[in-house]
Amino acid sequence: MVEKIGVYVCECGPNIADNVDIDKVMETISSLPGVEVVERHKLLCSQNGKKFLKESIQEHGLTRIVVAACSPKQHEVTFMKVCEEAGINPYLFQLTNIREQCAWIITDKELATERAIRYIRAALRRVPFHRDLAKKEIETNPDVLVIGGGIAGMEASLLLAGGDRKIYLIEKTDVLGGKVKELDKLLPRMESSLNIISQKIQEVEQSEDIKVYTKSEVEEVLGFLGNFVVKVKIGENKELELRVGAIVVATGFSMFDLKQLPRYGYGQYDNVYTALEFEKMNIDGKILLKDGKPPKSIGIIHCVGREERGYCSGVCCMYCLKFANYIKSKLPDADVSEFYQELSIPGKAHQKFYEDTKAKGVNFIRYDEVEVMDKGIKYKTESGEEKTSSVDMVVLAPAIEPSGDTGKLAEMLRVSQGDGGFFQEEHPKLAPVSTSMEGIFIAGCTQGPKNIPESIVQAQAVAGRILSSLIPGKKLELEVKTSEISEALCIGCQTCLEVCTYGAIYFDEMKRVSVVNEVLCRGCGNCVGSCPSGAASVKHFTTTQLHQEVVEALR
Amino acid sequence: MKDEFAPKIVGFLCNWCTYAAADLAGTSKLKMPPSLAVIRVMCSSRVDPVLVLRAFLRGADGVLVAGCHPGDCHYEKGNYYARRRFALLKSVIETLGLDSERLQLSWIGASEGPRFQQVVTEFTDKIKKLGQNPMQKKTSL
Repeated sequence: MVEKIGVYVCECGPNIADNVDIDKVMETISSLPGVEVVERHKLLCSQNGKKFLKESIQEHGLTRIVVAACSPKQHEVTFMKVCEEAGINPYLFQLTNIREQCAWIITDKELATERAIRYIRAALRRVPFHRDLAKKEIETNPDVLVIGGGIAGMEASLLLAGGDRKIYLIEKTDVLGGKVKELDKLLPRMESSLNIISQKIQEVEQSEDIKVYTKSEVEEVLGFLGNFVVKVKIGENKELELRVGAIVVATGFSMFDLKQLPRYGYGQYDNVYTALEFEKMNIDGKILLKDGKPPKSIGIIHCVGREERGYCSGVCCMYCLKFANYIKSKLPDADVSEFYQELSIPGKAHQKFYEDTKAKGVNFIRYDEVEVMDKGIKYKTESGEEKTSSVDMVVLAPAIEPSGDTGKLAEMLRVSQGDGGFFQEEHPKLAPVSTSMEGIFIAGCTQGPKNIPESIVQAQAVAGRILSSLIPGKKLELEVKTSEISEALCIGCQTCLEVCTYGAIYFDEMKRVSVVNEVLCRGCGNCVGSCPSGAASVKHFTTTQLHQEVVEALR
Repeated sequence: MKDEFAPKIVGFLCNWCTYAAADLAGTSKLKMPPSLAVIRVMCSSRVDPVLVLRAFLRGADGVLVAGCHPGDCHYEKGNYYARRRFALLKSVIETLGLDSERLQLSWIGASEGPRFQQVVTEFTDKIKKLGQNPMQKKTSL
């Protein structure tokens, strides 16, 4: 069938018209085979422009549409909608970019015009090879898997639970509560951490819509937003398959391994404790030395592992100040010194907390270098002076690191790890709780070091994102431009199975050919790039379609 | 001036990073030689080596394949596959009697408009120095 192609050249106000000779473009294009009509418009994306386009498509009974205007990233969707309204399949249209890639970057108007003509000719060559592509929708599962039963995981679970939605909360250890459960008091109000976390644990355990699996780990994750299939290992030998629509990763953090830094004397000298060990001591009620006597002088060292890790964990300064308060309330006469490199005390309540702590007689010593000795801390001041402070107890604040199984989990979820090995958010500012994998979200310290309120905020944000996108009963639109593999051409080498990041290709043993699962396919085309027999193809970016563009580029 | 050798370069740009960078270069009105014919693909890994070979056999003076920086791929690791594929392809095009410098793989992130301009300008200069594709008009596919 001979196609009836309509070409619409947008002036984009002066943006294109100033540097592309539109008359010349129209004259050249109108004489080309297949071109039924060539029109120009001042601003095709305007209401008036869209109306004009729709009516013109209908009037001429067009079978293919080429719009020469701005970047497809800007208005491809706009014009696809117009095509749909005009009764033509939106994939029979091609937007060619004569603004960003032409009018705006080529100085010489004649050359820019020539280039614009070339781009339009390439689109004209391409569109006859376009195919009708149909929108696909699938049912979605509104249930959510939450990995990690700490404060962030529990908060997200609680907000997500209810209505028509079930939550599966997977916890690696045998108890819920995470690291918050290991803290004595919470600043700035110094309320009991246990009270707060116990209340959350109780709410989670009492919720009929949250199913908690302790001593459990995720083994395998397949699928995509709306339809994940997850294998969970429970205990030693039980396995469970869960079907969920979204996944929340809230696997928290680990502390920097102090054995790597012998200068802090951890494990070498008595009475050198990590922050969490010191919390434990306070939960147990008494601050005591190994010999059972109360310490007379305590040094708290900040910034342990900061240089090695390459970032400030942000929370240590404040909890170190909290430690000084623990000590001052239990042992008012003990001497307390905070050894820091930089003090990080942002936030509306923290400055006051710092000043109040200082007023209790706590010393603040800024160090350049520090070393723990038996019953003392040797340090170098900013001015290079070497000093020694005699202390009988040392508390260390190690850097916050991604929890141990982050790498394994990242690979399983196909989410990348960013700075410091933490889970990479989709965008550091605009999308801090989503990931590049649709349907997989991150909350709390798994995304980077943060304090409790920040973790809660992220958990609540994740809940909001999921509640607004995964609505029970609502269908999900799938990627249309997926790959397909020709049964006739496939030689069964299975290279495509290996390169597919999404597990979207399976092998049909009976027919000895690879088959694309269109629900999982994201349309990257890596299988096409790797296919030795030319059997794989990606819709709307077929080799023939791209080849037509190449031909025109080199004509 | 117009008699000067004007190289024909085909540029396969990934939709998410380099195509966005090209748009940004445009929006910023960064001027470039009119040598590059942009072909949008969803991922640099989509660029089948056959497409590149066909372009050379059809007389392309240069082929640029550009995508997201390593680790930044929209599809997780498509660009790593592209990198490996094109390392190999470079040796293949040498056997065709073409300088492997005519094929360039570049990483240009979405926010790197000026870098896009720089890559296009420098690659064009390089191709100008290498001269016309010696296979031009000899073969057709």
